[in-house]
Amino acid sequence: MKRLFGIGVFVCALLSAAAPNHELRFCLPGDPKTFDALHVSDQHSEVIRYLTGGVLLRVNRVTDQLQPELADSWKLSDGGRAITFNLRAGLKFSDGSPLTASDVARTLNAALDPKQASPAGDTFRSEQGDPTVRVVSPLEITIRYAQPKPGIDRLFDALSILPANSGRLPASAGPFFVSEYRPGDYVRLARNPNYWKRDSAGRQLPRLDSIRIDIQPNREIEVTRFLRGETHLINKIEPENFDRVAKEMPAAARNPGASLDSEFMWFNQAPAAAIPDWKRKWFASAAFRHAVSASIHRDDLARVVFRGYAHPAAGPLSPSNRFWFNASLKPLSFNPQSALRGLASEGFSLRDGILRDRGGHAVEFSLITNSGNRPREAMAAVIQDDLRKIGIQVNIVTLDFSSLIERIAKTAQYEACLLGFTNVEIDPIEQMNVWLSSGPQHQWWPLQKSPATQWEARVDKLMLLQASEPARELRKKAFDEVQRIVVEQEPFIYLVNPDYLTAVSPSLHGVQPVTAPPQLLWNIESLSLE
Amino acid sequence: MRRNFKRAAISLLLLIGMTAIFAPSLAPYDYSRQFREAPNSPAGSQFPMGTDDLGRDRFSRLLYATRVSILLAPAAALVSILIALLVAAAAGRVLSGLTTLCLSLPWIFLFIILRATLPLNTRPIASILITFGLMGVAGWAWPARIFAASIRQMKHSGWLLQARASGIASWRIALIHLWPHLRAIAIAQFRVLIPSYILAEASLGLLGLGVAEPLPSWGNLLAELQHPGRVHDNPWILAPLALLMLVMISLEALQPSREVVA
Amino acid sequence: MHSGFPFANRIASNLITLALVVLAGGFLASALVRYSPGFDSIPEDLNPDISPATLRVLHEQRSRENSLPVFYAHYLARAIRGDFGVSQNLKLPVNELLRERAPVTLRLILWGTGGGWLLGGLLAWMAVWPRRDALEATASSISGLLLAIPPAVLALVFFFYQAPLGLALSLALLPRVFGTMRALLDDCYASPVLLAARARGVRPIVIAARYVLLAAAPQLFALLGVALVLAFGSAIPIEALCDVPGLGALALQAATSRDMPLLCGMSLIITFFVTLVHAAGDLATGLAGERA
Repeated sequence: MKRLFGIGVFVCALLSAAAPNHELRFCLPGDPKTFDALHVSDQHSEVIRYLTGGVLLRVNRVTDQLQPELADSWKLSDGGRAITFNLRAGLKFSDGSPLTASDVARTLNAALDPKQASPAGDTFRSEQGDPTVRVVSPLEITIRYAQPKPGIDRLFDALSILPANSGRLPASAGPFFVSEYRPGDYVRLARNPNYWKRDSAGRQLPRLDSIRIDIQPNREIEVTRFLRGETHLINKIEPENFDRVAKEMPAAARNPGASLDSEFMWFNQAPAAAIPDWKRKWFASAAFRHAVSASIHRDDLARVVFRGYAHPAAGPLSPSNRFWFNASLKPLSFNPQSALRGLASEGFSLRDGILRDRGGHAVEFSLITNSGNRPREAMAAVIQDDLRKIGIQVNIVTLDFSSLIERIAKTAQYEACLLGFTNVEIDPIEQMNVWLSSGPQHQWWPLQKSPATQWEARVDKLMLLQASEPARELRKKAFDEVQRIVVEQEPFIYLVNPDYLTAVSPSLHGVQPVTAPPQLLWNIESLSLE
Repeated sequence: MRRNFKRAAISLLLLIGMTAIFAPSLAPYDYSRQFREAPNSPAGSQFPMGTDDLGRDRFSRLLYATRVSILLAPAAALVSILIALLVAAAAGRVLSGLTTLCLSLPWIFLFIILRATLPLNTRPIASILITFGLMGVAGWAWPARIFAASIRQMKHSGWLLQARASGIASWRIALIHLWPHLRAIAIAQFRVLIPSYILAEASLGLLGLGVAEPLPSWGNLLAELQHPGRVHDNPWILAPLALLMLVMISLEALQPSREVVA
Repeated sequence: MHSGFPFANRIASNLITLALVVLAGGFLASALVRYSPGFDSIPEDLNPDISPATLRVLHEQRSRENSLPVFYAHYLARAIRGDFGVSQNLKLPVNELLRERAPVTLRLILWGTGGGWLLGGLLAWMAVWPRRDALEATASSISGLLLAIPPAVLALVFFFYQAPLGLALSLALLPRVFGTMRALLDDCYASPVLLAARARGVRPIVIAARYVLLAAAPQLFALLGVALVLAFGSAIPIEALCDVPGLGALALQAATSRDMPLLCGMSLIITFFVTLVHAAGDLATGLAGERA
């Protein structure tokens, strides 16, 4: 009997040793800056946070509906001022320690602590002050604001609950936890043995044993490794490399459609800018901005620069942001003749191929953008060529990212800038700092003491309204008007919305590509490998 | 055979030089003209080397790029060699520390500071001249060490001691006695510096210096080689590399013959 | 011929120079970083999700002592104890980062230097020794070809064909070593001593060993040091482009993010390494000169 048992154990050991290790492999272009979920502010850290973080609620990226996670139920009350969560029983972190309402309270209070400077906490703050947190019981917690907080429930999609003691590689309540990190090399996430979720057949999730994320800044190498079968997915791929994948592995190339990203340019209107007054007048003139906008061939940008994997922009939001996008807005049209007429009405004249203003100054400006981003550099070259046709000389200057940030965020020593928003949040409440005239990311003229123009004052009012209005439809109405004003005034000249291009190995199952972050990985616990 | 090789090298360099000078006449199109209906076209009758990702004729861009690189990179190399020779001859014991400092410093920040001090609307030609000038000035340390090593050895040689004992002025010693011995090394270093500066110019483009769009240079054309996948679709991407190789081989062939010092 | 300086004095002099150069190099590098544009900027400045108050605190956390000399003095005091601070970008001790990455780069550099020096030497020998124009032309052409190819592109091609990157670095260094070696060997062959040896009928192998290699040994040794330093310079773009997790890639990352503690630590170590190599080379050539 003992011998049979021994043989049985031996056979089981052999079988388990022979069973394949289901390790998902993909690349990130840079090291994550932190594994502390409260201090995540970069894209790479956010990917790790999403894969490891246990959250109370999750927004289903396909249906855009909230679904229960660590909380199996929740209730909004008091006109949207309060939300109460009921946690599942028996929850544990990956290190085996129990997860209760106290952990939720501690995490949220830490996020709100000003000394922590937690970007995660910023989404929970409101103009009327921070919420209060009350632990009703080990499985019940209530968060209350002084005034209604729009979208209060959806905020908890991004708050990972942390254990009391977090080491360098913290324990987690999500499907995976960080088990290994070699800077510049890779991060390994191991399956959380205490993960609460099960599939419909009652099997514990996640299906994958581990995830290995290689740090791979070089996109060419990333694609080569994918085509060799060394990795299983590329979460964001450039158009040129997408075509390469489509040619060599057609089943792997996936294009879920327009992303939430947008590419745009703007003129510096900040008073601190060392720009001559006659040039400042150009930038401050809506007619001048419209003329520049109308002279840029957006279809060519989409077709040539992005190889057809982009769409001319209609305004601040991408149409893939289905709920918030103002559907009445149409893509901005290419009409250089109309541009010249508009400029003529402002006193500009085109002579010998050079556009001059009323004072005889040749219209010329520098356009800065970040170096190392080939699509952006190519867009700048196309814009330069387009504007030369109406007599405007554009000088392209590519800068390293830190120098660029300093110019646009600190010193204001630039004339025009070409940049883009990536991994954009869906809800415009996340963009308050862009649209409020006092906001630091109000790029064309940040940190205004009072709105410089009437339309900016109107936008301020609308943004504050939608930030305090609990009814989603009313918020949408307010933000629709913001979009309309922005398109009318064009402080940002929107160019294109690139598609979200991805590559997925046929051996990886369960992937449902979406355009909202984290794109391919949003349902990580359901993914499996052959 | 060596003489034939040298003749071929001279002819080739002259041809490349003339092509650079007459680029505007030889190029079928302006280097910045974008044929947006034909991006990434293969070589054909309209575009002998195909087009780049913005539909610009590669052949025209190569001709114009030759002007920038073939004139300025050797000029910058010459500046470096001259400074290196002067410093190596004059600096003495301090040279070692000086060159080490120069070679250890992260020069990338000096270039970033330079970019910050230049106006954003700096004329392209001024930006190019400043960039190559600075490369020339910053690149002296390397060759200086090589020269200093040779000078140190020559200092103990009999003929130099005799020259000094005879009361010959230092500058005459340097020009008439030392220079013939340093010439071969100087030419070798000059040759090595040229492609380094051509390629360095492309890297400086990442800092906002160097040759700005739409002006082409061998450096920014060669930057396409960082995408090896493109070469398969359009092998003419290798044309600037082939041209640079021919130039380097020609310069190698022009290395002076061995001289016997009696 | 006596120099008048005992050997021990020369070593001491070199050590003092080493210390001074390392200190100066570290300070100058820190100054370049500190006063470069973008030093006070962080990517969070462009992130609309982050409130102005949080941004202020993030900047304060990242702020350094205003006075560069004070920062540098404090940093040196810690560095002497082996503590090179914490990387602001990666939030890890600089010691740990250097310890993990250095072996990768060292392996690459040693392979590259050794291979480049040997291959360059062989090619230079081929160009000079047999006195055949065809061989000289071939050697020159190979050198010219390799000189024209950017080291990083060469490495990328090797990567895509799964060939060792050390070999790519060797080929990148080869032309830089070849030119100087050929000139040195040419000089040796033109020397009166060697001409006399040949006239006396000394065997070619003895000429090569005693009159060429031995005579040029100090310069060759100095060239080896130069090649080591060149290899490190070439390793940076190779590591950056081929995503090799070594010191080169770390240096580039530190430069783009203006990571002061990391850059300061790396500058001190790089200056030390370069100074040591140069000092050894200078000593060797100095001794050779005296012997002559």
